[in-house]
Amino acid sequence: MITLIKVEVLRILRNKRFLFFTLLYPVVMYLMFVSIWGNNAPAPGLSAKTYFMVSMATFGTVGAALSTAMRISLERKSGWTRQLRLTALPGWGYVTAKILASSAATLLAILAVFAAGIAEGVSLSATEWIGLVAAIWIGSFVFSALGVALGYSAAPDSVQPVMMVCYMLMAVLGGTWFPLTGTMQSIGQYTPVGLYNQLGKVIETGSTAQLSQVVGLAGYLVAFAALAAWLYQRDRKAA
Amino acid sequence: MSTSVEQVTGAGLRGPGSGEVAAFRNVSKSFGPVKAVNDISLTLHPGETVAFLGPNGAGKSTSIDMLLGLKDPDAGSITLFGGTPRQAIMDGRVGVMLQSGGLMPDVKVREMLKFASDIHPRGYDVEDVMKTAGITDIADRKVDKLSGGQEQRVRFALATVGDSDLIILDEPTTGMDVTARQAFWSVMRAQADAGRTVLFATHYLEEADSIADRVLVVHRGRLIADGTAAEIKARAGLRKIAFDLHPEDGVPDLGLLSRLPSLSGLDVSGHTVRIRSNDADATVAALYRAGFYPRGLEVTGVGLEQAFIAITGEQDAADESAALAKENAR
Repeated sequence: MITLIKVEVLRILRNKRFLFFTLLYPVVMYLMFVSIWGNNAPAPGLSAKTYFMVSMATFGTVGAALSTAMRISLERKSGWTRQLRLTALPGWGYVTAKILASSAATLLAILAVFAAGIAEGVSLSATEWIGLVAAIWIGSFVFSALGVALGYSAAPDSVQPVMMVCYMLMAVLGGTWFPLTGTMQSIGQYTPVGLYNQLGKVIETGSTAQLSQVVGLAGYLVAFAALAAWLYQRDRKAA
Repeated sequence: MSTSVEQVTGAGLRGPGSGEVAAFRNVSKSFGPVKAVNDISLTLHPGETVAFLGPNGAGKSTSIDMLLGLKDPDAGSITLFGGTPRQAIMDGRVGVMLQSGGLMPDVKVREMLKFASDIHPRGYDVEDVMKTAGITDIADRKVDKLSGGQEQRVRFALATVGDSDLIILDEPTTGMDVTARQAFWSVMRAQADAGRTVLFATHYLEEADSIADRVLVVHRGRLIADGTAAEIKARAGLRKIAFDLHPEDGVPDLGLLSRLPSLSGLDVSGHTVRIRSNDADATVAALYRAGFYPRGLEVTGVGLEQAFIAITGEQDAADESAALAKENAR
């Protein structure tokens, strides 16, 4: 089990494309947004630097978590998951290792953007920093579950576009790229990424976390995990 | 095994007390209207090297998948080492090389095998495993960058990465050239000599003939023969008897020849007579009794290939007449 997680993390770190899209890309986007917005406040009480630091961190973590889908899908196609079922590794071991390995990657994604934030002069108290990292990191498991579900949903050719559409749609509706207003906001605030971004903002603005956001995210987690479990079972029966 | 093949086909020939590695009891599996596996019963015993022989689509892979718990049978039961397939696998008792089994992407051969050895309850030292499988030279190669033959050897290494009692190989030599195939089987024999039970599926008859000490013939989902290669050849017929009748002895009397006992084929061209017989001893004895003086008499066994064709042909004919009877009954 531990050995599988080790190998999985190694594989993620070796994947240059993955490193580029989950670590470098959000950082570059962050620096770009900061230079566009300057000192304008995207939302009351929030500086662009802080707002986009959180939303680009979540952008990175959601991307890292969803990329699990592609890996699982490819490994199903190649027959590696089948070979693994013929080892002493317990059935849940594969999925658990995938989720834990991707959570190591999400942590890196968060730290990369936060490092850029610090460089840009974002200043928060130690508790705020820790709280923010923890909130975004824990929240990322919602998307890991979704990534696993997508990975078991279809063949790699279909998973790739589905994953990209999910990723972009959720990012737009969640206010990752720009703060939402009006109808978009009233819909967007209930989407997974919307709730996820708000979780980060709560800590920045110093208000306590709204129970509804935590409950909402937990609800998505349960739903995605159930979907993943169902698709996983379906896959094993079809194998 | 001196039992006749008819007896061998069907349920276990030895009692369950002598230790069984695996057992199928009246196992069936359908995919839609296709009966991929049709009422198969068999028992594998410790130390046997068993060939699972049949044309593509005969039900070999489906049977192996069920034996490993990858698919569930529609009817019947399967045990591996007396328990469920999953339990046997968890205990590390089975090493498997599947046709459809993949390799872990983005890692080196050594890293993948190290991982496999780590999760095996009795994993071997990876360097030794690679040496045995003859892949030490590609240990640092990425698994995604292997040739077909190299990939097969890595898959074999994966199947023998730990101390397993049963090794299952589904068409292991697919994609290997003749040299690689020979090298492969010599390695495999060493595994069998070490006391392991080996079950391999193949459609290469010569592999079954030269490597297995027991051959299971599956055809259209059914187990139609089970015995040593020699027994299966015997079941299919047979032996070839060939001789010349000297011109001085006159023209061969076809009527007399065709009345010889145990005949299953007769071909006379000029003075050369070729006979296929179910019981060569009886045929030859009767030949002399009938007053023939055969010259240059040769009695040879048929190859497994011919035996295989004969047996599957018999089965097809039986299937057809059964279907016809069913049709007529309507």
